[in-house]
Amino acid sequence: MDNTRLLTDLLVAWEETYKKGQLTLWIFLALKDNKKYVDEIKIFVEEESNHTMSCEEQSLYRNLRKFQHLGVVDFETRKGNKGPERKYYFLTELGNSLLNQFVKRNIALFFNYRIKQLLNLEE
Amino acid sequence: MKITANQLRFAAVLLALTIVFRFGLSRLLDMQYFTLVWVVASVYAIAAFLTGWYFGRKDHESLPIYDIGFRFHLTTYIICNVYGEVWYLLGFQSRYEDILVVHLTALYWGVFLLLHFIVFIATRKNAIKGISKTEIFE
Repeated sequence: MDNTRLLTDLLVAWEETYKKGQLTLWIFLALKDNKKYVDEIKIFVEEESNHTMSCEEQSLYRNLRKFQHLGVVDFETRKGNKGPERKYYFLTELGNSLLNQFVKRNIALFFNYRIKQLLNLEE
Repeated sequence: MKITANQLRFAAVLLALTIVFRFGLSRLLDMQYFTLVWVVASVYAIAAFLTGWYFGRKDHESLPIYDIGFRFHLTTYIICNVYGEVWYLLGFQSRYEDILVVHLTALYWGVFLLLHFIVFIATRKNAIKGISKTEIFE
């Protein structure tokens, strides 16, 4: 196996593992942006992740039902442009606190100068 | 304990199956088709199990409540035993049926239900608001 092929295989394998569990973060970010219905969440996740993340509607609905049951997400119903009423999801106070705490503990550390240098992100 | 739409659908189908089964059982006994009773009882048991399996899976796909099957077990217990008692209260039973059997079934089954409940309570620590911790952010 040549090195380019090996690199690609390893990268794909790493990304598959890395992306597991990331959908929650992307959904929360989509809802922090503003209230959205499922199609808009899907578009946000795919576009903002540069299409590195993809999500099925079914999977989004399942996650949103769970989050609503847990009280981190809620929805309000609004009339769509043409079609039937849509559920517009948003983060509750608990959901916002959860996201903020998670970001502080797990994401913010990537923005420290030393780590940014190591990640070759420091300009 | 949350009652879901799929649990209610399961209850409705099981109730319909139980009504048909009870009616068939009592009439077959009246006609002294004792062997056929076993066939009907087996068909009823398999149909009830498959109904529970089907709606249980749909329920889990909709919202993965971590209850090790207790809610569906409780629903089954209530429908089967309460309907059995009601059947006698209404006087629809066969002359070969004994109310004591219905009471004893409820009692023995109740012991298993209680054990199931104890295990359910013991495993609830693995869940947050009824959803398994490992399934929340999967």
